[in-house]
Amino acid sequence: MRLQINGDEHDLDVVTLKDVVKHFGLQEGLVVTEVDGAIVDRSNWKDINVQDGMKIELVHFVGGG
Amino acid sequence: MTNKLTIAGKQLSSRLFLGTGRYPNPYVQNKAIEVSEAEVLTFAIRRVNLSAPDEDAILQHIEKPFQYLPNTSGATSAEEAIRIARLAKASGLSDWIKIEVSQDEKMLIPDPIETLKATEILANEGFIVLPYTSDDPALCYRLQEAGASAVMPGGSPIGTGLGILNPYNIERITEKLTVPVIVDAGLGSAADVTQAMELGADGVLLNTAIAKARNPVMMAEAVKHAIHAGRLSYSAGRISKKKYATASSPIQS
Repeated sequence: MRLQINGDEHDLDVVTLKDVVKHFGLQEGLVVTEVDGAIVDRSNWKDINVQDGMKIELVHFVGGG
Repeated sequence: MTNKLTIAGKQLSSRLFLGTGRYPNPYVQNKAIEVSEAEVLTFAIRRVNLSAPDEDAILQHIEKPFQYLPNTSGATSAEEAIRIARLAKASGLSDWIKIEVSQDEKMLIPDPIETLKATEILANEGFIVLPYTSDDPALCYRLQEAGASAVMPGGSPIGTGLGILNPYNIERITEKLTVPVIVDAGLGSAADVTQAMELGADGVLLNTAIAKARNPVMMAEAVKHAIHAGRLSYSAGRISKKKYATASSPIQS
């Protein structure tokens, strides 16, 4: 599956958005996802089947003022 | 002095909002947060670095529950700020948002028009909106009327430590607004913090002044006392300034 994640091409063996988050070893409670410009709530990650060419953004809180 | 700061119905015992950027390490940061007694912490929202996901993550280092105030730093328009605000809210960690919109990389001066636009839209969406803005009394008033739960004028540009460049304006803002005024940005030391509080600010937001002090933990403590001193002084009511001397003792015995 070829996905564009945070601006870079990734070729991943995944089915759902939840798999994508898991693939990168991210702490689920701290990550927010956007798929093709729309925010996907954490509770729906397992229901979103990713498809070739999807643009996924994975964001989180970092230090800031 | 015992009266508490209330923002959008939430009572806060501390009038200090603390940024979480640029500390030497998580241990010093946590210690500084603890000593400061701050209850509101600010954050930024960024893409996860997928080759080192934990590198810049922050929340795993934060120990006890705080009121999180994510910011929209990096946004150059209302549209971008709104996107970041919605992402922040989707974290499930907070519905508070510090609007920060700038097109000026050198000065990081907040864009007044885009800030007002984002404030209005997000307040209508149910966010608790705290816009960071320039120290313009008319603009601060407009932000309040647009639905801001608190307004956060800058003392001077972010990270400069130049203190309050226009105390006259800050005082006009604290006099005019009915929502809390938090002086944000540019404060460099405990003295600047005391001045902000004496001008009637309801609180201050600091990051660099503490994170980049030679001893951040000690500065956190100094700032805590400065807020207390400044607030007491404001409540006590300072004397008016006079041109000529007035003897402290009676002239004739």
